[in-house]
Amino acid sequence: MSKVFAVIRREFVERVRTKAFVIGTLLGPVFFIGMAVLPALLLSRETTGRKVVVIDAGTGEFGAKITAALAAAKKGTGADAESKFVPTLVVAGTRAEEVRDSLVRMTGLSKRAEGSIDGLVMVSESGIAKGQASYLGVNVGSPRDMEDLRGILSPVMMTERLQRAGVDPVVALGAVVPLSLETRKVSEGKLTNESGGATFALAYAMGFILYISLLLYGTQVMSSVIEEKSNRIMEILVSSLTPFQLLLGKVVGVGAVSMLQIGVWTTAAKLLRDYQPQIMKAFGVSGAAGGGMPFMLPSMPTDLLVIFLIYFALGFLLYSAAYAAIGSMCTTIQETQQAQMPVMLFIIMGLMSMFALLNEPNGTLARVLSLIPPLAPFVVPVRHSIAPIPIGELLLSIASTVAGLLLIVWVAARIYRVGILSYGKKASVKDLWRWVRAS
Amino acid sequence: MAETVIAVNGVTKRFSGHTAVKNLSMSVARGGIFGLLGPNGAGKSTTIRMIMNIFMPDEGQVAVLGSTAGSRGLSARIGYLPEERGLYPKMKVIDQIIFLAETKGIPRAVARKRAGEWLARLDLGDWTAKKVQDLSKGMQQKIQFIGALLHEPELVILDEPFSGLDPVNSKTMREIVVDIARQGRTVLFSTHIMEHAEKMCDHIVIIAHGEKRVDGTLAEIKREFGGQHVALTFTRNAERAARVLADRTLVSKVSDFGATAEVALAANESGDRLLEALVREGVGLSRFQVMEASLQSIFEARVGVDGARPFAMREES
Repeated sequence: MSKVFAVIRREFVERVRTKAFVIGTLLGPVFFIGMAVLPALLLSRETTGRKVVVIDAGTGEFGAKITAALAAAKKGTGADAESKFVPTLVVAGTRAEEVRDSLVRMTGLSKRAEGSIDGLVMVSESGIAKGQASYLGVNVGSPRDMEDLRGILSPVMMTERLQRAGVDPVVALGAVVPLSLETRKVSEGKLTNESGGATFALAYAMGFILYISLLLYGTQVMSSVIEEKSNRIMEILVSSLTPFQLLLGKVVGVGAVSMLQIGVWTTAAKLLRDYQPQIMKAFGVSGAAGGGMPFMLPSMPTDLLVIFLIYFALGFLLYSAAYAAIGSMCTTIQETQQAQMPVMLFIIMGLMSMFALLNEPNGTLARVLSLIPPLAPFVVPVRHSIAPIPIGELLLSIASTVAGLLLIVWVAARIYRVGILSYGKKASVKDLWRWVRAS
Repeated sequence: MAETVIAVNGVTKRFSGHTAVKNLSMSVARGGIFGLLGPNGAGKSTTIRMIMNIFMPDEGQVAVLGSTAGSRGLSARIGYLPEERGLYPKMKVIDQIIFLAETKGIPRAVARKRAGEWLARLDLGDWTAKKVQDLSKGMQQKIQFIGALLHEPELVILDEPFSGLDPVNSKTMREIVVDIARQGRTVLFSTHIMEHAEKMCDHIVIIAHGEKRVDGTLAEIKREFGGQHVALTFTRNAERAARVLADRTLVSKVSDFGATAEVALAANESGDRLLEALVREGVGLSRFQVMEASLQSIFEARVGVDGARPFAMREES
C-alpha cells in the first residue's frame, strides 16, 4: 500500500508543481470575476443614454407620453442612476415618412458625429388601434435592448388603449397581473426552500464538471502512461510495482489533482458570490449600476452532494482506467486520437443522456440509463435533482456502476500490463483480445 | 555448494516470428559476480526480463531467491537496472531517487539520507536539486544506478550497465559492482564487452541465438578451452608478422587486432619458435606473453561471427 501511496504522491506533487497547473488554477477565479464584473463594467462605461427620436404621425399627444416614459427609464435603481434613453419628440403628422427617411441618414453614425442618433421610435394613430409601434436602430439585434424597449413602451400603449376604450387604466391595470407561478421543491415528503430550477441547474453544472474533468484529467492519465513508455522508465517501475498498483496510483493521484483544482474553483466561486458587492466596488462598479450578471450559486442539498461525489469518483475512476489502457496500447499521442474515440463516445453519450431524461426523470429510459456504468455518473445526479430516486434503485445503480468499474479496471489492467512494455506499433483489436486473455 | 539465488530451468521464450531464448538453463550461486555474455540480440535482455518477471517464459521455470512466484514480490531484495533505461525528465534528481526507493518499500527519510550519500559518492552532489533533463546521459545513468542499489538489495541484476559510459565513469561503476560482491551480495550483469567480464566475473554464461554456448567459472572455461595462447603487441613491422602468423605449423588460430594480436599455438608448440621467427622477420615486439586463452578468443570460437543477429529484442517484444 505504501508503494501505491508513493505513486499517488509522485503523480500529485509533480503535477501540482507544474506551471500549467498553477496558471490553470488561478485562471478559474479570474474568469469568474471577469464574468461577474465585465458586463457591469462595460454597461457603466456608457455614460450617456441612447439618443432616440420619437416620431409621432398623429397629434403628438401619444408621442409625448412615450417620450416621457423613455426619459424616465433608468439604468439600475439608485437615485443617481443614469437614464437609459435621451429621447426627443418630433410631431411629424402626415410627413412622418419624410421625417423618418431624413433621420435614418443620421442614425448609427459614429458617436462623435454631430447630431448622430441611435434609433427611431415611430408611433401613429393606426398603430395605437392595432397595438403597434416600430423601432429602427442599429441595436435591433440585441434581445436585451429590445426587451427593455418593449417593457417601457408596452404599459404606455396599454394605458392609452384602455383610456380610448373608456376604461379607467388604474382599475384595469391593477386587475391585469400576469400569473406568477411560485415553485418550491418537495423532496421525500418534505418541503424545501429551493426552487426546482436552481437545483436542476446545479445538477447540470455537476454533469459538466464531470465532463470537463474527464476531458482535462482523464486524458492526462493517458498521456502520463505514454510519457512513461517513451521515457523508458516503465521497465524500472514494473520491476517493483504491479501494473495494478501503478494504474491505481496514477488514477488516484491525477484524480486528487483534479479535486484540488475543482475545489479551488468552487471555493473561488463561493467567495465571489458572498463578496460580490465588495468585489464590484473594487472594480469601480457601483452596485446600483446592477446590470452585471448576478453570480448565483444555489445551495447544494446534502443528499445531492453525496450522490454527486459518489458518482464523480466512480465515473472518474472508470474513465481514467479506460484512458490508461488506451495510453498503454499506443506509443504516441497522435495514435491516441483514434484509439480514444470509443471512450469519447461514451462521455458524449453520457452528456446527451442528461438532456434525454428531462421530461421523464423516472421513466423507463432514465432507469435503464442509470444502470449503464459509463452513463450512470452523468445521469443519476441530474435525475435525483429533478425527482428523488428511490433508495433501492439508487443502490442498484451504484452496484451496477461499481461492477462495471471493476470490470473495466480489470480489463484495463490486463491491457495495461502487456501494453506498457510494448513499443513500436499500436495494438490491434486482435492484440488486445490476446492481452486480455493472457494469464 | 553455495545457495542458488537464480535458477533458470529449461526456459524458452518465443515472440511472433522467432525464438528469442531456447531451452536455456543456468544457475546463479549466492555471492560473487555472474556474467551473462553474448552478442547483440542473443537473448540476454529477454532472459533477464524473464528473471525479473517482466516476461513470462513460454516453457520452463525461473526461480529467484527460492520463489517461483515472480520476482516482483521480492523487489525489495532485488536491484534491477534494465537495458531500456529511463527517468522522469521533469523530476528533481533527489525526488526521482527517493521515489524509486519508495517503490522498493524504503521509508522517505531513509531514502533521502542514502540518496545524499550516493550522490556525493558519484560526484553528483551539486546536481541534487536539478531536474533530470538537465543532466548528461552519463549522469542519468549514474542516477539509474543509484536507483537500483539504494535499497541495498541482496541480488543486483544489471543489463548492460557500463554501456554508454566514458572510461572514468565506467571504472567508477565497475568498482561499485566489485564492492557489492565483496559484501557477499550477488551481482548478475550482462555485457558484450569481454574485457569487463574477464576482469570482474567469477562465473560466466555465454549465449548466442538464444542458446547457451558456454557455462562455468572463468578458470573452468579457460581450462576446458585449453591450448596455449600468446598475446603480442607490435612496435614496428607489424605487417611482416602476418606472414609468420600464417604458418599453420606454428600457429593454429589468429585474432589480429592490428597493433596487437592473440594467437593460439599449434599443438606441441611452446612459443619459442614463434618468437624466433618473428625476430628473424624484423618484427618489433613490446609484448610477447604465453598465457591461457582470453575470453575474447573463447567467445569468438564458441559464438562465431554468425552469433550476432542484426535485430534487437525490443522490436519484437
